[in-house]
Amino acid sequence: MTKEAVIEVIKKNIAANSDDIDAAGIDPQKSMKDYGANSLDMIEVVSTSMRELKIKVPRSELTDLNNIDQLADKFLEYVNKGNG
Amino acid sequence: MSERMKLASEPSGVSVLKMDDAKGRNIFSAEFITEFLHALDELERERRTKVLILCGQQDVFCGGAEKQALLDLCDGKAVVRDLVLCERLVEVPFPVIAAMEGHAIGGGLAVGFCCDIVIAARESRYGAVFMSLGFTPGMGCTTLLAELVGPYLASEMMFTGKRFRGSELEGKGTHINYVLPRTEVVAKAWDIAEQIAEKDARSISLLKHALSVNKKKLLVDARHQEDLMHRISFSFPETRRTIQELYPE
Repeated sequence: MTKEAVIEVIKKNIAANSDDIDAAGIDPQKSMKDYGANSLDMIEVVSTSMRELKIKVPRSELTDLNNIDQLADKFLEYVNKGNG
Repeated sequence: MSERMKLASEPSGVSVLKMDDAKGRNIFSAEFITEFLHALDELERERRTKVLILCGQQDVFCGGAEKQALLDLCDGKAVVRDLVLCERLVEVPFPVIAAMEGHAIGGGLAVGFCCDIVIAARESRYGAVFMSLGFTPGMGCTTLLAELVGPYLASEMMFTGKRFRGSELEGKGTHINYVLPRTEVVAKAWDIAEQIAEKDARSISLLKHALSVNKKKLLVDARHQEDLMHRISFSFPETRRTIQELYPE
């Protein structure tokens, strides 16, 4: 799986969780907070995306991430671990 | 007039209580609860209200518990003030219509299901998110949510913590009276309220009392089991950590 594909999964779930955001308009360099997500939204986006990617990243590894791109990197690391 | 609660009464007997805490986003701060209860006291004292429309802000009906109250529960302190809201909505001598234009989350959803008639918005989200934060549901959810949405959907909502859009609930055969576009929610509430206000005030109050008997019982049942589960689930160290990390500021 490519990083782009991971980003697409995250973007899709951000859009599904918000009122007026289109997946295509999401910039991975931004944080979900920039798109109006509160913590409950982020829990939902992260847990739905992890289920979809069939990975489980410990919460402690997610607390220091600053933007969607970094979240995708973290997810990709686990996707690759699963394949390796 | 209080800062967070806007109260208006029409000569017809329809009153409107708008929860309008722009800063706190309608979460249960001590001030929010006090002003909410004062507003209900005032309506009861004046004895002119035949039916109450309870609404919130356009995007947030009610947000539920305050972070500090949850952390107090982690410390083993009893926090009972939130629960009084539910009791009062069930006990007031007039029917209450919940016009939930905006999201209703956790205890905020409980405020909705303690009302007599419930109108939701397609665009908004309704969720019993307690378990996502690590602890078991409260505010009457374990007995009364099933009354509103049906027992199996209530289980799904409580176990998963998922916030359902009104549009998702619409197709599920819940007992929510109406799921409408957000812009039509308050108008529908008024339509129903005006029909009720044509009726005799004494009979309205008698009927409210009779129809509330079961709700009161369910709230008491909920209180017992929810208090017990809270004493256990709030004592998990993980729960405190989850609340501290994840609860919206």
